[in-house]
Amino acid sequence: MSATDAPTMASLVVGRSARMRAVFEFLRVIGNSESTVLITGESGTGKEVTATLVHEQSRRRHRPFVAVSCALFSETLIESELFGHERGAFTGAIKDRPGRFEMADGGTIFLDDIDDVPLAMQVKLLRVLQNRTIERLGGVRPVPVNVRVIVGTKRDLKQLVTEGKFREDLYYRLNVLPVTLPPLRERPEDIPDLMEHFLSRYFRRRGEPVPAISESVKEAFSRYSWPGNVRELENACERMAQTCSCGTIRVGCVAASILFKAAAAPSVPLVPLSTAASAPPTAQEPEHGVTISLDDRLREIEARLISWALRSTNGNKSKAAALLGVKRSTLGDRINRCGLGASTSA
Amino acid sequence: MVSRSDVQAVLDRVRPFLVADGGDIELLSVTGNSATVRLTGACANCPSAHMTLHVGIEMALREEIPDFEVLRTAGDPS
Repeated sequence: MSATDAPTMASLVVGRSARMRAVFEFLRVIGNSESTVLITGESGTGKEVTATLVHEQSRRRHRPFVAVSCALFSETLIESELFGHERGAFTGAIKDRPGRFEMADGGTIFLDDIDDVPLAMQVKLLRVLQNRTIERLGGVRPVPVNVRVIVGTKRDLKQLVTEGKFREDLYYRLNVLPVTLPPLRERPEDIPDLMEHFLSRYFRRRGEPVPAISESVKEAFSRYSWPGNVRELENACERMAQTCSCGTIRVGCVAASILFKAAAAPSVPLVPLSTAASAPPTAQEPEHGVTISLDDRLREIEARLISWALRSTNGNKSKAAALLGVKRSTLGDRINRCGLGASTSA
Repeated sequence: MVSRSDVQAVLDRVRPFLVADGGDIELLSVTGNSATVRLTGACANCPSAHMTLHVGIEMALREEIPDFEVLRTAGDPS
């Protein structure tokens, strides 16, 4: 993140989904806290962004925010990196060097990829968290540090504890204020807002008007599973912003790999192919306050889609199966289950 | 030899998105292990659309149809 984009709640964390609103609410509540925060989330879900936000909301906001990825360093380097070293501590240590903890004094340190910290180092980290003092490599006296600690992990630390890969005592020391960031595929309703957010940022930077986004692109983006989460979405938006030349973000700007994977996602087809006999039915949203049976509705949609596919292919079950992205045998089973056999074989 | 219907099946997977955007990708011919397509609609005149769609669809075709060789687009973007 560049220093010019001052983080605020509104600009950093975009999302209207219930899960993200719960996260924002929790961040607001812990705003003045000094306790350790444990942020769990897949790669690209915004752990560092969240850590920045926690820092910016805290009383420490005018002091340093130091982010370190613990995955970047080898086992021996990480200690020197975090705690610093004295001159002569090892070959090449030609002068005293403060570690990241000392650099963050008075502020916040964000230790990302804490799940990659080796067990031997975990003991030392635990001692720092307990005593609030560090010892430089080759140093003899403990240096007190006033640092708020935020850690990030892409794996479930509790699970690593069970597997014996993470110290239980350190886990409890870290897991004071837990924040879990949901992967993007679990909150697809946030995708249009995120797209607009990123696209308008790129276009505003260039001083150009923000283009409209076609519904088809929104649909493709909402159906794609985003294994790289918000970071991947951000990069896709940057790419579109660079290549769009017609004033509207259309399918032609989208990487075909996203289109293919979006097309394979289990969702109601967007529009009929021009060869299709009729449009596939789309699911209607129930009226407000009406209760429905999800299972019945899903069966209903399934039956309608299967009959659409069969109509489109003039009853050719192999082609219909291909159209629906299922095996021929699966389609046969579904036809029987939906009771379509009699009406469509004719 | 690559079959026309195999190529069409791969194209059909992404066509709904193009059709919804007022465009399409039309399979003109399959010769040997290569195919020629034409982009129509709003994206047909966009050079970057040719790049993104051409490269991505060719990759998908090669992935799905082991013998597939080259995807050509008819009518260069003006």
